[in-house]
Amino acid sequence: MYRYDEFDAAFVAGRTAQFADQVKRRLSGELSEDQFRPLRLMNGLYLQLHAYMLRVAVPYGTLSSRQMRKLAHIARTYDRGYGHFTTRQNIQYNWPKLSDIPAVLEELASVEMHAIQTSGNCIRNVTTDQFAGAAADEIIDPRPIAEILRQWSSLHPEFSYLPRKFKIAITGSPNDRAAIRFHDIGLQAAVNGAGEIGWEVWVGGGLGRTPMIAKLLNSFVPNEHLLAYLESIMRVYNRYGRRDNKYKARIKILVHEEGLESIKGQVEAEFAEVRGGVLTLPQEEVDRISAYFAPPAFADRSGDSVDIAYQSIIDPAYGRWLDNNLHPHVQSGYASVTISLKPVGGAPGDATDAQMDVVADLAERYSYDELRVTHEQNLVLPHVAIADLRAVFDVLVAHDLAEGNNNLITDMICCPGLDFCALANARSIPIAQEISRKFADPVRQKEIGDLKIKISGCINACGHHHVGHIGLLGVEKKGGELYQITLGGDATESASVGKIIGPGFEAEEVPNAIEKLVDFYISQRQGEEETFLVAYRRLGEAPFKEALYG
Amino acid sequence: MEILTGNELISGAAVYLDGHGVWVEDLQSARLYAKDEAVARDEALAASKATGRVVSLEIEEVEQVDGVIVPKRLRERIRAAGPTAPLSLNGQAYERQHLGEDGHVSIR
Repeated sequence: MYRYDEFDAAFVAGRTAQFADQVKRRLSGELSEDQFRPLRLMNGLYLQLHAYMLRVAVPYGTLSSRQMRKLAHIARTYDRGYGHFTTRQNIQYNWPKLSDIPAVLEELASVEMHAIQTSGNCIRNVTTDQFAGAAADEIIDPRPIAEILRQWSSLHPEFSYLPRKFKIAITGSPNDRAAIRFHDIGLQAAVNGAGEIGWEVWVGGGLGRTPMIAKLLNSFVPNEHLLAYLESIMRVYNRYGRRDNKYKARIKILVHEEGLESIKGQVEAEFAEVRGGVLTLPQEEVDRISAYFAPPAFADRSGDSVDIAYQSIIDPAYGRWLDNNLHPHVQSGYASVTISLKPVGGAPGDATDAQMDVVADLAERYSYDELRVTHEQNLVLPHVAIADLRAVFDVLVAHDLAEGNNNLITDMICCPGLDFCALANARSIPIAQEISRKFADPVRQKEIGDLKIKISGCINACGHHHVGHIGLLGVEKKGGELYQITLGGDATESASVGKIIGPGFEAEEVPNAIEKLVDFYISQRQGEEETFLVAYRRLGEAPFKEALYG
Repeated sequence: MEILTGNELISGAAVYLDGHGVWVEDLQSARLYAKDEAVARDEALAASKATGRVVSLEIEEVEQVDGVIVPKRLRERIRAAGPTAPLSLNGQAYERQHLGEDGHVSIR
């Protein structure tokens, strides 16, 4: 786990004190709202429908137990006893009072956390694979580079006022669990002919009103030149990204309009200027940062195993959880455990203060004090011994956290929607809740298999609907809500953008519409191994449309 | 008909300008402006902005249904009533934000 050095600590403390003074001056009337608004947004503080919303960064989705307990404490003390984990590995508090924000930021700073650059046209929280440093399929732990990117991008003077917000995701695995092709820059670990590990650099991906899959800009950038290369990209974007139209300001539009080769030429020209300069990453610094992310001193549990088939017979709920919520670990005898924040009828991504405390306790006792936040709005215990799984499960059961539905139909991504968000056109959470209830039967969920539903309450696509196998986009029509259905989206290494299949549905019709699609898929699939997405790609849009609309 | 609405500075709570020039939580206490009262409405808006205590000021269209004020936009109905999500994690309905002791503010 990375620990702040004196520079990190001083910068967060300084910023916290600065914002406390700004809040004080706003409350006294010395600052007008027009003056204050950009200042609060620079500190992750939005004003939503009912209250302020504070967005707190969880750098590369990694938390210690101490940090999670602090998040729980903040939820309990300054909010309404819960927090909302988001698709960008942040946590959002929906009900804080402005006058409490300085105290909240001080609490966060005390555990090396903050809300800086969680809003605004700057480089946002760098996200990564939730199983980083633990996954069996990993080429390299991406978190040291993510931490270096955090240090490079935090308050970067040249990139504090970009044409638009800028999002970077990084994965150390060939299996993309960080949706890197839907970020402004995506980095994927690569090995060159000499056996050296470096990074594929993907650029110009994104969702929103113009969804685009990122394009490969460079197939191998060595560690030592990565910062210089990224700085080169940022400079080209900062120079040529459109500032006249916020809807065309993201780098995806620049890449699309200029063409990849043109952008590449400009990046390479910039790179030729800065390569080998002050941005060269010394190996000793990479090593120093990497040491913070060294694997725990695992006990030898290589002989331990669990018979999931047997457990499924004697305790189906435990069997389902084992079957769906474990991820292969690099260390024999261990697994990474996904803790579902998608109980039947719940709001995806929400966790109570008590649940956060429980998860922190579990991490401390069973996962070497480490926790992760996933971009799919779940939590992860990255390093759990196989022999401890039952004990972990029993605690989760007692706190409504043991849903064995990871990657199943009820494991939905869902933005806050019109119930909270000032930008939304339609509600999302009640739709997710109804779908969840419709498909609550775990036997039915298992029959359906891997199926990702993603729901957004507006075109900004915080719910990633474009990359849902089934996506739902809420739109406003004649003062009411209507939900467009997209099919075929995929956020992984086989990325695709879903297509709108036909006219939208009223809210109450959505669960039945989903059921029609699911029933059709099951009737057409070539065996249980053929997932919804694979079947859709084989069959094409037309028969699904026919099944839905007749 | 129209009403004036905004969010109170400290709490962020949705508030409405009433007939006494006071910002209150209750939508049903909101002053209704007819179409020919645009001057009075705009003066109230400007005076409210000058206090700096109510932000995100907006003019909202409403109708009266059996004597009850109903905003035309779903967004505004949710702002007035609180989130519609049937259950929170604690099994209780979400409430809207409420004003604190010093939340009420007059424009007079």
